[in-house]
Amino acid sequence: MSTTQHGKKEKKELLLEIRGLRIEGYADEKWIEIVHGVNLELHRGEILGLIGESGAGKSTIGLAAMGYTRDGCRISGGSIDFEGMDLTTASSDELASLRGAKIAYVAQSAAASFNPAHRLIDQHTEAPVQYRIKKRLESQEDAMELYERLRLPNPKEIGFRYPHQVSGGQLQRAMTAMAMACRPDLIIFDEPTTALDVTTQIEVLAAIRDIVDQFNTAAIYITHDLAVVAQMADKIKVLLRGDEVEEAETVKMLEAPKEDYTKSLWSVRSYKREQKYRPTGDATPVASVQNIDAAYGDVKVLEDVSFDIYAGMTVAIVGESGSGKSTAARCITGLLPPTKGRILFNGTELPSSYKDRSKEQLRQAQMIYQMADTALNPKVKISEIIGRPAYFYLGLRGAALKKRVDELLNLIELEPGDYYNRYPPELSGGQKQRIGIARALAANPSFIICDEVTSALDQLVAEGILKLLDRLQKEFNLAYMFITHDLATVRSISDEVVVMKEGKIVEQGPKNEMFTPPHHPYTDLLLSSVPEMDPDWLTTVLEERGVDNIGEAALKKS
Amino acid sequence: MNYFVIAYYALLIGGSCLAAYYQKRTPFLLLFSLTLASFIMGIIGGEGALWSVTIAAGIIALAAGTSYAFREFLVIVLPREMSKTIKTAPLTASFGLFVVMTYAIAGIFAPVIAPFSEAEVVSSAFAPPDQTMLLGADQLGRDMFSRIIFGARNSVGLALLATAIAFFTGAVAGMIAATKGGWFDQVMGRIVDVIMSIPSIIFALLLLSIFGTSIATLVVVIGVIYAPRVFRLARAVAGNIVVMDYIEAAKLRGEGTWYLIRKEILPNSTAPLIAEFGLEFSFVFLLVAGLSFLGLGIQPPTADWGSMVRENATLVSFGEITPLIPAAAIALLTVAVNFVVDWMLYRSSGLKE
Repeated sequence: MSTTQHGKKEKKELLLEIRGLRIEGYADEKWIEIVHGVNLELHRGEILGLIGESGAGKSTIGLAAMGYTRDGCRISGGSIDFEGMDLTTASSDELASLRGAKIAYVAQSAAASFNPAHRLIDQHTEAPVQYRIKKRLESQEDAMELYERLRLPNPKEIGFRYPHQVSGGQLQRAMTAMAMACRPDLIIFDEPTTALDVTTQIEVLAAIRDIVDQFNTAAIYITHDLAVVAQMADKIKVLLRGDEVEEAETVKMLEAPKEDYTKSLWSVRSYKREQKYRPTGDATPVASVQNIDAAYGDVKVLEDVSFDIYAGMTVAIVGESGSGKSTAARCITGLLPPTKGRILFNGTELPSSYKDRSKEQLRQAQMIYQMADTALNPKVKISEIIGRPAYFYLGLRGAALKKRVDELLNLIELEPGDYYNRYPPELSGGQKQRIGIARALAANPSFIICDEVTSALDQLVAEGILKLLDRLQKEFNLAYMFITHDLATVRSISDEVVVMKEGKIVEQGPKNEMFTPPHHPYTDLLLSSVPEMDPDWLTTVLEERGVDNIGEAALKKS
Repeated sequence: MNYFVIAYYALLIGGSCLAAYYQKRTPFLLLFSLTLASFIMGIIGGEGALWSVTIAAGIIALAAGTSYAFREFLVIVLPREMSKTIKTAPLTASFGLFVVMTYAIAGIFAPVIAPFSEAEVVSSAFAPPDQTMLLGADQLGRDMFSRIIFGARNSVGLALLATAIAFFTGAVAGMIAATKGGWFDQVMGRIVDVIMSIPSIIFALLLLSIFGTSIATLVVVIGVIYAPRVFRLARAVAGNIVVMDYIEAAKLRGEGTWYLIRKEILPNSTAPLIAEFGLEFSFVFLLVAGLSFLGLGIQPPTADWGSMVRENATLVSFGEITPLIPAAAIALLTVAVNFVVDWMLYRSSGLKE
């Protein structure tokens, strides 16, 4: 299975060749070049990993490989040669006959890309029937076979469900099956596992790798996760702001990157800070959650959850989506009053709904959100966003308020003069997240809930945010409740870890204990599902666990 | 064959050739299809048909020229931010703006512009146009032109006031409903359903015959009838905004409903609301004109375009266009407002090409 991994395979026929590709985007009534002359070669059966930060042009190049550009973009130079046909000059009819039949695309969010009004199998058979490659029934049978190969449960039946009746990981595999429907020569995977949990991701990765190998399909695998690309690709190309940084065979790239930028990408995961322990004696925790239950309507989502957070410490809440970690945060903030149990703050019980809490109680606990885009009002100035809590809670106004805002901007390492009068849409993702942090700090809180604050950011930017949070914690003795599904983040910044599954706490304790065996089986599963930079990691894990023991199957057993 | 016809075809064919030579596809197709159509029109309608084509083309060219010049004028006159927006406006939008501005000037400075007052009888009934009366006299011998100018003030002013009331109540109620939810939302929603289930003109007639036809009642009645549409739009737009994290953050900060609406929701919903304002204005304006035409709107002797159409309607049978002038004024304003609204909707939708 992994012969393709080490470049042992002899060079095969050239399938796709991109020369000096330039792409322009339309913004502010001007065409601005966003991809500056990228070259790319792909042979049959080869997998190329494209990595880079957001805005590096990965997806744009991936789409251009199908001769497609998004609205407001155009190919302004270079050639895209697919099996001897130049896609930049091909007519739209010629391109349409290629797409689906010879080149297929797997999108990042399968849930958003499937049409919710049609059954999976009907969407699967659309392309083969359209191109008259297969008859409808024939294609359906083929779909079932593909579902089986991708290890979807009930392959004979699952295709007749609607997209919402299938889980995220299954949907992503169904989409891969759909891309395979016409047996294309090239598949473009655009971050297919980014939206999935680690335990599901491993399953999708294994399935994609298998099927691409079985049909000898060439693939372009776009991702920002280095560990993932290390498992999948034969060679890796690193992009930065529309320029190629370097390209090399996977093993070579991981062991000896040439460029500084690549090295900096590789070293991100090494950030670690010193672990702190609970204060001895009878210190009161800043926040204490005691035996809470919570429910959305009749559906119980939390059951008997208790944990304590002490001043100056970071408690990481880990779990998959749906495990109730964000619900726990909603209970603490008072957005979702718990049905049972109590929440203590510095030893005093808080009213269960935020509406009944005093200004002072609200001020003490602040929140930083996952999506800085939706967490900051796009029509409000930065100075107003940060200044409002300072005015609202502390009554600062005039010159004192301006001074406080400047001080806060300095704290988050943004130049006050440059940002004071700007609006959130003018900032980058990392800057927005910093503004979110400043807004939380403006209230002088003692406790901050960080809800997946780094998961929407690139690794380099995320590292910057983590370092900033760490510095602020030391400076103001803040307590953090850090909700995340990324165990690498947990390893680098947490003091204590709480593992949640299906609304219950599976295990909790100091970080060093949690990361050394023996683990609870679920913790073990989580830990072993996190991809590592070793290109043989996936193969090893699959051998250890067996192909039927990964993902959802393993979840049920634990 | 006279010189006009020769010049007409020479110009069209010459224009087509030039367009073709410089590879301007759209102008060429336009010019040449007009040439072909003119052959047929010339044969059937003779020189007269060609004259009307020329005049229509002239009017369109004049309007386009005015719009272009007006847009450049606005770009220079307005402050930087706004002139940047205006620069991207299509010609139709600047035409709309031009017409709206003309009406506004006519309405505001009516007593200065109009040679006579609106109720003054200056001549015999249905007198033809002469040097003192640009558009002739109406059925009582009042100056038509002066009444049109004053009509701009009365009809447009009333419609504007009524729309503003409808808009304010509707938008505020809609946003509160979206923010608060619960019983307030339900009650408001059902009230709105009831109002919207009755055809607006019939509902207006009903209410006006109950409460009488003073200007104040008219404004309030129209406000009540049109507020539900704004309520629904405002509630839908605000509904999309209240689920955002920044609203949650503000709620958790302990902010009140009024702050949420004013500072967080309103700035994000202005674009669709302003576009809706323009659209509503056109409808309200037509309703006011319609009510006046039926005799329930603005009462004589106050000049109003709707009632002016009705009063002079008999003239149409004598082949006079006088009663059509106020009607044309109504049509022009509605079209102009819609041009502007189209542009705003396009901008707020964020579509490109």
